[in-house]
Amino acid sequence: METIIIDGLSYALPLFIIAIGGIYSERSGIINLALEGLLGFGAFTGGLFVALLGKYFTHAGWPIYLSFLVAAIGGGIFALLHALLTIKFKANQVISGVVVNIVSVALTGFLTSQINASVFDQPSNRFLLSVLPRYTIPVLSDIPVIGAIFKNVYPFSFMIVVLFIIFWYIFRHSRYGMHLRACGDNPQAADAAGINVYRTRFWAVVISGALAGIGGMSFAYSISTNFSPAVYMGAGYLAIAALIFGNWNIMPTLFACLIFGFARSGAYQLMRELALPSSFSDLAMTIPYVLTLLLLIFFSKTNKAPRALGEIYDKSKR
Amino acid sequence: MEEARVRMKTDEYIVEMKNITKRFPGVVANDDVSISIKKGEVFAILGENGAGKSTLMSMLFGMYEPDAGEIFVRGEKVKIDSPNEAVRLDIGMVHQHFKLVENYTVSESIVLGIEPIKHLLGVIPYVDIKSANKAVQELSQRYGLEIEPTKKIEDLQVYARQRVEILKMLYREAEILIFDEPTAVLTPQEIDYLLGIIEKLRESGKTIILITHKLEEIKRVADRCAILNRGKLVDVLDVETTSTAEMARLMVGRDVLMEVDKPKAQFGEEVLIVENLFVEDMNHFAVVKDVSFSVRRGEIFAIAGVSGNGQVEVADAISGMLPIKSGKVSLNGRDITDLPVKERTDAGISYIPEDRQSMGLILDLSLAENLVLKSYHDAPYSRGEILNKDAFLQHAKEMIEAYDIRSGGGATGMVRQMSGGNQQKAIVGREIELGSDLMIFVQPTRGLDIGAITGIRERMIEQRAAGKAILLISLELDEIMAMADTIGVMYSGEMQKITSADDITSEEVGEYMMGVKHA
Ligand SMILES: Nc1ncnc2c1ncn2[C@@H]1O[C@H](COP(=O)(O)OP(=O)(O)OP(=O)(O)O)[C@@H](O)[C@H]1O
Ligand SMILES: [Mg+2]
Repeated sequence: METIIIDGLSYALPLFIIAIGGIYSERSGIINLALEGLLGFGAFTGGLFVALLGKYFTHAGWPIYLSFLVAAIGGGIFALLHALLTIKFKANQVISGVVVNIVSVALTGFLTSQINASVFDQPSNRFLLSVLPRYTIPVLSDIPVIGAIFKNVYPFSFMIVVLFIIFWYIFRHSRYGMHLRACGDNPQAADAAGINVYRTRFWAVVISGALAGIGGMSFAYSISTNFSPAVYMGAGYLAIAALIFGNWNIMPTLFACLIFGFARSGAYQLMRELALPSSFSDLAMTIPYVLTLLLLIFFSKTNKAPRALGEIYDKSKR
Repeated sequence: MEEARVRMKTDEYIVEMKNITKRFPGVVANDDVSISIKKGEVFAILGENGAGKSTLMSMLFGMYEPDAGEIFVRGEKVKIDSPNEAVRLDIGMVHQHFKLVENYTVSESIVLGIEPIKHLLGVIPYVDIKSANKAVQELSQRYGLEIEPTKKIEDLQVYARQRVEILKMLYREAEILIFDEPTAVLTPQEIDYLLGIIEKLRESGKTIILITHKLEEIKRVADRCAILNRGKLVDVLDVETTSTAEMARLMVGRDVLMEVDKPKAQFGEEVLIVENLFVEDMNHFAVVKDVSFSVRRGEIFAIAGVSGNGQVEVADAISGMLPIKSGKVSLNGRDITDLPVKERTDAGISYIPEDRQSMGLILDLSLAENLVLKSYHDAPYSRGEILNKDAFLQHAKEMIEAYDIRSGGGATGMVRQMSGGNQQKAIVGREIELGSDLMIFVQPTRGLDIGAITGIRERMIEQRAAGKAILLISLELDEIMAMADTIGVMYSGEMQKITSADDITSEEVGEYMMGVKHA
């Protein structure tokens, strides 16, 4: 039970921060299928940063934290591609998202090999990261069952909880959040109220890239302790499913992410308990996705996408 | 009232538009137009559909920039290149088609863009919805515009959405208020209320620009009236000293008959028979209760009623847009109660829906395509699976001629770019040309100019003479009285009375409509 909760949370929280990014983009009216590519590119820049620092400094503690910042910047910069294509050049948002994903996989794979060969003189398609310390909060972790929430916690989990509160607040209560939601519902109305629709959407997409980058970096640390093409394991798509299931609202999406996280860790635990060979773990991996599908079928009938989602905004239309 | 007029009106011009010209591809929407508006007056703008009224005001509100000409506000030359700039100059506008964020509350929509900000712990900013609610409440009381600040926009009816738009302007402390056909979407009672509000606003010193097609409204509230014809300014009149007939003549450029010639009816067999119809709305609330009537060939059957008493639902149920709970609808003896929409159309139903933008037209298709929206799969518009675009265009040319549809882009222009009234003419034309045995007209003349109204009414009479059965649903008693052979009055989902138009006065119809009189 403990492992299910611990592993479930350490998967659900990065997924959640990626989904929050997706919500920002989609509630502003821009479909974001690019989350997968954005999280990958963010993890790549973070991984590269750690690798470069490792070459010139011995591994100290602080690059770990800085690497998340760098991953956010990397994800945000890569998101400019999606923002430019969809907002400035008014490209179809679905196509743009798919393009960003493809470019991300190809570009990071190529760059990782090239940089490893030329800078580090070793042929490899990954950047090694250090093993993250994990923290256990005294007292709270002694509570029966739910105490597991506070056991063996990754540092990024704390960070994500803080970011979640900040971005939830911005989304619900700030002026920018209000403008953003207006742009996704009726951009003409937002424009008439004096809001710059292009700028609002632009920043929403950049934010989604930054948050996806942080999520991607978290996965790189927690799942494989390195950056490799393995970070592209579908978390971006799962985050989209979670936010749809959460009806494009942050709180219900948290709930969806937790379900996915626990479904995944529960499945692994089951494999372990039944002592099944590791080849079955591939099958176990599909459980969260199958679950997604079922949940979406049964619970999302009444869900309503933002009204202007996918609508290319053109000021001159009336 | 008269005193107020004199008191508030000064001779100082608050807005001057000089020699304004605006061209769109294929059309000069405004051609060297100059108007000057005095502070504190109600200034009406009258003109045919497509005359350029909305365009002229859109420029004052910064949505378009003029190709030539100058704008002065309070004597100063200004360049209004965005609605923001207009708002800074205290100009506000209620558009012909509302612009509201559906999932916001009333007060959120009103403060959007200039939200009141408070600080959490003195540092973290947040939008203070509570004080927004309070401010909206106060404004709504001050001007008598009743509204509930915490209601969601998507749950509001048209008239309430319009109030939100008006409050939006007032919250921004606009001094110059532009209303683009505000009454076209309202019921007569709501119009009365709105005109009262406009009078109140002018008493409090606001300057009001009112675009409307209804001469009696101009007579009631306006001080002066500018008349546009095909982009050119014809005249600016003093309303008090000009007759409505004179205004109409100037607007159309010739004498207009406001009444149509209606020969005696020749009824044939029954085309539409509705028996014991029950319809429920989305929330399973009974909106049509046990309604029965029939429409014969050569008959105009008009359903009168105050908005929201089930008339539109009757039309929707007959045309297949709403499911029928129980009862029977038959067309030419055939039971069509459970047929899908497309098969009903083929069985012989034309339908002009109430909401032209969402149900009647596809705004991003061309005029020619919209005109064959219901018949493109038949010859000559397609052969097998191949569409014949030349036939589309040929047809569109004939329709533009026949229904006086004015489109800057011609047959291939996008419908979105046509003026509101011309969009309406396109739908009406398309539905009549289907040549169906049963024609359902819901508010067919909404948003049309007087000339165009007469034109559409003449067409209806023509169809009646050709032996079509016509079901007319209108909120305007005048329209019902002018057109109907038989009148049915609905109140609260029930048919109160069905009678020959000759046997009832408009006062009596009004009484049935209000539910005071029962059959
Ligand atoms: N964005 C646009 N692009 C192209 N043409 C346009 C555009 N806006 C308006 N027009 C054209 O300019 C002319 C004037 O249109 P406008 O909407 O000002 O008319 P209107 O007087 O408001 O008519 P109505 O009474 O029907 O609302 C019309 O011929 C219309 O097709
Ligand atoms: Mg107009």
